[in-house]
Amino acid sequence: MDNLEALIKEHLNKEAQSKTRRHFIKSCSSGLGGLALGSMLMGCESFSKTGSSSNRSFSERDLNPLATIPPPFSPKVKSVIYLHMAGAPSQLEMFDYKPKLLKLHGQDCPQSLLEGRKFAFIKGTPKLMGPQAEFVQEGESGNWVSNFLPHFKNVVDEVAFLKAVHTDQFNHGPAQLFMHTGSARLGRPSIGAWATYGLGSENQNLPGFVVLTSGGKTPDAGKSVWGSGFLPSVYQGVQCRSKGDPVLYIEDPEGISRNLKKSTIDAINKINKEEYAKYGDPEILARINQYEMAYRMQIAVPEVMNINDEPENIRRMYGVEPGKESFANNCLLARKLVEEGVRFVQLFDWGWDSHGVVKSGSIDMGLRNKCTQIDRPITALILDLKQRGLLDETLIVWGGEFGRTPMQENRGNKKMQFKGRDHHGDAFTMWMCGGGIKKGASHGQTDDIGFSGVEGRVSVHDVHATILHLLGFDHEQFTFEFQGRPFRLTDVEGSVIHEILA
Amino acid sequence: MKKQLYYGIAAIVVLTLVGLLWNKIKPTDRVDFATQVKPILNKKCISCHGGVKKNAGFSVLFEEEALGNTEAGRPAIIPGNASASEMIKRLKEKDPELRMPYEQEPLSNAEIELLSEWIDQGAQWGAHWAYSLPTQVDVPAPPALAGFSLETEDFIQNNIDNFVLARMEDTQMTPNPHAEKHTIARRVALDLTGLPPDSTLFQEFVADKITYESFVDKLLSRSSYGEKWASWWLDMARYSDTKGYEKDGGRNVYPYRDWVIKALNQDMPYDQFTTEQLAGDLLEEPSMDQLIATAFHRNTMNNDEGGTEDEEFRVAAVIDRVNTTFEVWQSTTMGCVQCHSHPYDPFRYEEFYKLMAFYNNTRDEDIPSEAPTLKFYSENQKKQVEKVVEWVAKRGDNATAKAYNKFLSYNEPVYNAHTLTDFKNGSYDDHASSILWDDGSCRLANVTTGDATALFLKYSSGVNGTVMTIRKNNAEGEVLAQMQINKTKGSIIRKIPFAKTEGVYDLYIETNNDQVAKEVNTVNIYWIGLLPDLPGKGTNGYARIENSVVDLLNATTPTVPIMIENPPHMQRTNQLFERGNWLMKTDTIAPATPEVLNPWNPDWPKNRLGLSKWLVSKENPLTARTLVNRVWHQIFGRGLVSTVEDIGSQSDPPSHPALLDWLALRFMNEHQWSIKALVKEIVMSGTYMQESIASPEAYEIDPENEFYARGPRLRLSAEQIRDQALAVSGLLSSKMYGPGVMPPQPDGVWQTVYSGAQWKESKGEDRYRRAIYTYLKRTSPYPSFLTFDAGSREVCTIRRTTTNTPLQALVTLNDPVYLEASLELARRMNISESPTENISVGYGLATYSEITPEKLEALTHLYNTSLVEFDNGAENSPFYHLQKRPEKELAALAVVANAIMNLDEFLTKS
Repeated sequence: MDNLEALIKEHLNKEAQSKTRRHFIKSCSSGLGGLALGSMLMGCESFSKTGSSSNRSFSERDLNPLATIPPPFSPKVKSVIYLHMAGAPSQLEMFDYKPKLLKLHGQDCPQSLLEGRKFAFIKGTPKLMGPQAEFVQEGESGNWVSNFLPHFKNVVDEVAFLKAVHTDQFNHGPAQLFMHTGSARLGRPSIGAWATYGLGSENQNLPGFVVLTSGGKTPDAGKSVWGSGFLPSVYQGVQCRSKGDPVLYIEDPEGISRNLKKSTIDAINKINKEEYAKYGDPEILARINQYEMAYRMQIAVPEVMNINDEPENIRRMYGVEPGKESFANNCLLARKLVEEGVRFVQLFDWGWDSHGVVKSGSIDMGLRNKCTQIDRPITALILDLKQRGLLDETLIVWGGEFGRTPMQENRGNKKMQFKGRDHHGDAFTMWMCGGGIKKGASHGQTDDIGFSGVEGRVSVHDVHATILHLLGFDHEQFTFEFQGRPFRLTDVEGSVIHEILA
Repeated sequence: MKKQLYYGIAAIVVLTLVGLLWNKIKPTDRVDFATQVKPILNKKCISCHGGVKKNAGFSVLFEEEALGNTEAGRPAIIPGNASASEMIKRLKEKDPELRMPYEQEPLSNAEIELLSEWIDQGAQWGAHWAYSLPTQVDVPAPPALAGFSLETEDFIQNNIDNFVLARMEDTQMTPNPHAEKHTIARRVALDLTGLPPDSTLFQEFVADKITYESFVDKLLSRSSYGEKWASWWLDMARYSDTKGYEKDGGRNVYPYRDWVIKALNQDMPYDQFTTEQLAGDLLEEPSMDQLIATAFHRNTMNNDEGGTEDEEFRVAAVIDRVNTTFEVWQSTTMGCVQCHSHPYDPFRYEEFYKLMAFYNNTRDEDIPSEAPTLKFYSENQKKQVEKVVEWVAKRGDNATAKAYNKFLSYNEPVYNAHTLTDFKNGSYDDHASSILWDDGSCRLANVTTGDATALFLKYSSGVNGTVMTIRKNNAEGEVLAQMQINKTKGSIIRKIPFAKTEGVYDLYIETNNDQVAKEVNTVNIYWIGLLPDLPGKGTNGYARIENSVVDLLNATTPTVPIMIENPPHMQRTNQLFERGNWLMKTDTIAPATPEVLNPWNPDWPKNRLGLSKWLVSKENPLTARTLVNRVWHQIFGRGLVSTVEDIGSQSDPPSHPALLDWLALRFMNEHQWSIKALVKEIVMSGTYMQESIASPEAYEIDPENEFYARGPRLRLSAEQIRDQALAVSGLLSSKMYGPGVMPPQPDGVWQTVYSGAQWKESKGEDRYRRAIYTYLKRTSPYPSFLTFDAGSREVCTIRRTTTNTPLQALVTLNDPVYLEASLELARRMNISESPTENISVGYGLATYSEITPEKLEALTHLYNTSLVEFDNGAENSPFYHLQKRPEKELAALAVVANAIMNLDEFLTKS
């Protein structure tokens, strides 16, 4: 394997020597290996100013598209853990305390709120439904948390709430896409793909962008919520699974020992080096590199995905259930992954769509149960990252794709068997925690019944702008050239939410 | 005399030098808008003064905006007077608050000079090269004899090479020699059929029994040609076996995929290929195939998620059709024109909606049944349809006969349940049907029933004894139809008499059933259709024909979604959407094509058929260029315009502009839109036949092979990688067509919400079909294809970005599909007692070339290592997908075969 390194070094040196600045810019915009890195010009320019050593780091990227590149501005965090509650959790039972709504419980929803509005299932005139949880003010910040989250209240001073997030989508699929790609239509890269594209990965033996799902289902919008859109597919999220191979095809076939796999890769790479000598195509060097990485990944991925090696107290802290697909397991895995330098970890937990059609989807019982499933693991995740000194360099984002109505759902204009709330995009709660975040902050307010934001309204684009800001990007400058125009995660909108930044 | 000549020469030299210098300072020729001015405007001005932003009321996108009054009340550009033009003043301004571009680097003096000169010359506007096509292009003469080596002489095989060589000369590069026979044989077979050549054909060619041309011809005539090129087209057509969005349920649209394969194999001319897909339904007496072809635009997604608005997603599908049409045929992104004029290209905001008007009147309405769908009747049923149509034609009129034929073929036109309104004791039940309870009513507003005297109702009911009455306009109106509704088994279609009614009016529908409790569904209505009754009532045989009609309508058959136009009385109004919002409709508009492109021929109908004729008009500057550019891209991995998705003012300039235009003209005129002829011409060129070897210096000068001084060397596509592995191992099935198949994929990959759909592993040869037949679920595509850069086909994909990742290595090393192929290849290799001979044979079978001693040594070493391992290991242990390891020699060969199938040379066409 020394041989390979020598070979790559030689190739890079040759390149560095022969490249003038003009050449360099050109190779940035066209790239090797089919990487259309047109919009990396921003990155390129910052490199070219700092001289030839950075030249090298870009060429490294040609051979390894996940090679690390520093962001243009000083970053507050290195990694992101994004916790998505798929189905949309009710803000009114978790964080957005509305005592007035309790008083109005059972009354008809005022017509003024219904006029010109569309709901997914609500028909006619629904009734208002008071909060189905009890709330207390917690910590020094005095932020409200419900009794559905008895552990989380202990870390409430670590997080910053966004109480008046809004989205213009009220169906799961499009809203999830919007939340993760900045567009309700398909074809755009997800935040994780943007981050990995812009920064590469700190650990070359693991994927740069890992996705973990729980709750028995994948997101409504499918794999596009962690897709790479028009970015090269190497930046798409890699789904790590709790059952079967943690990454598809990571395990050696039956009857093939590690040693034999190593011999196989040695033979392949030896021949590929011959091929490089004959054809001179740098793509072959990249392939040699990828096979080496694949071999290392085969060891690294099962290692990092194994939670059994964690000490008992840690496992208890998270409440993990080894061998099962659970949100708690995924939280512990998320910590392990960012500890190992994975750039973006995305968790999807299914089961938050509390319409009240079935018991598990009811606001008073089903939702409470879901809250119990995440309460301990999320609290543990925050504390665990903190005790390891990782919380300062990690950003945790929590939220759903929209919120839920202050009105009780009346599907088909009938009273329903269980208490439920319909989809609602006008105002919902998200929170962030970690590096660069103002601890204990709460930004934005909704009206008395939690229907609309009346102060500090922020959009999905604003949330994205803030995440990119913390990673060291100006969301207006971070673009990718596609179909003749520069595209960005925030399209033509978004502003950084400074109110929750430290 | 001699002296004079010297003076003359000296004068010319001096003048030339002066001219050159002069040129540097002040261009003497007319400044060309398209090549000199427009690039500066696009780069430096248009982001603030263009289609999106028009700061200070000034935009340089369209001529009248650039020369018209700005907010200051006067123009910023005064033709003929640069120094009086505000634009030039602002470019030269010293105060950074006033200088343009604002807060950006100033323009260079040369750029300002050029713009000034252009204004002084009259500020002539011009079209970008992409929007006009020359009528003739001359082939460059072969380069002068000096420096013309034997190699370059050999290089020129057809006219393409003259264009390529002329450009190569500019860069002082020289072409590579021809690739060796075995190399070119594998390369061209992979390019034409997606598979390595079969051994007979390969042997004939390398043994000089057949020429390269007849080798190519034979490959072009293989049915595998259509299977290969179909994946390229299906990426653009966003073909998939599911509907997409949240529920992502199955969709039976494979007959369209098969249509594409057949059309490509028959080499259907591209103009016809275009028309049938965009407007097959609007042709005279369309055939089944022509109707199937229209599924091109039914590949849009269909949203069955609970609580979604059908109209919203119908509009989304229509918008997608406009965008896809322009991406596929015009290399133009219309997406941004939905909200504002194109930021760079000369397309106006209104023009998007004028184009959309062509597509806005099809019957599909985002309902779960995906209607309209074409029914595939059995032979027997087809005869019944014929009998019905014959009956009607004989006793009634032709129009009615046609109407029955259509109604039986695809159940249109009908009013879908979601168009019902004004519910009393009832509601539209999300996504499927409208429900009425006892004493329920609803309204179907603004209908025209004309000659209709028969009402067809698709409904279901769980109770007996409901009376449904349909009245004119309201509860007091005349009774137009009445029927008793009883319990049904699932949904059924019934025919009842209907009172002929003139004019535009409302159908008022009411239900009564005293026997049932409140809030019990008495009926679920799916759709209502209205037709003239069958003629010949009371005559002998009428009852049989009427029964046939009802039976046929109720017959469950395979179907495919198709495009069908609204009849005149069901036409939707076409309106602009304010800032792209479908809920904010403004001015009414009529269908039209963008002004900057070719003119509209008044003989064309103003519908999709006319639109398709406009696209394949020889005057259209983009259709042929787009196609030849993309075919070239498929073969060379790079387009002549490298941005294959975009040919316009922001695209990269063509590397070989004359060649692009020459190929485009030739494709239309000489080749008569034959894709096979175009493909053949390209692979017969010396440019294509070159060796792909290159020195580091050559990579340095031309990393992307823009000048084609070497042959293409590219990683194979996801489909090719699978198909090749199956082919060389002898596993590949040659079965064509039919529903998508499910080769092995890991458990638990499909976990879609609200869907019972399961990946049911195919049996027998269906496990080994070509990749094109693999079932494609949009929210969860076949994992190994995804890893090798195939897309999820949710939207039109013009170009897949090729990546190189460790996950790809894991697929070809560990995926059971590739392990099975390795073992089978090992069996094919296992011909003698000599391991080295076996390894050489295996390498040859896979790569079509002879193994070198170094490679043989590396693989033999691997073989021996494996043998030692297997010697030491337990005998009865599992191996690959097998319960028990085969004899150690075969197992060791399988390990070697697996290594061979992971070699760069195997995964790449060289």
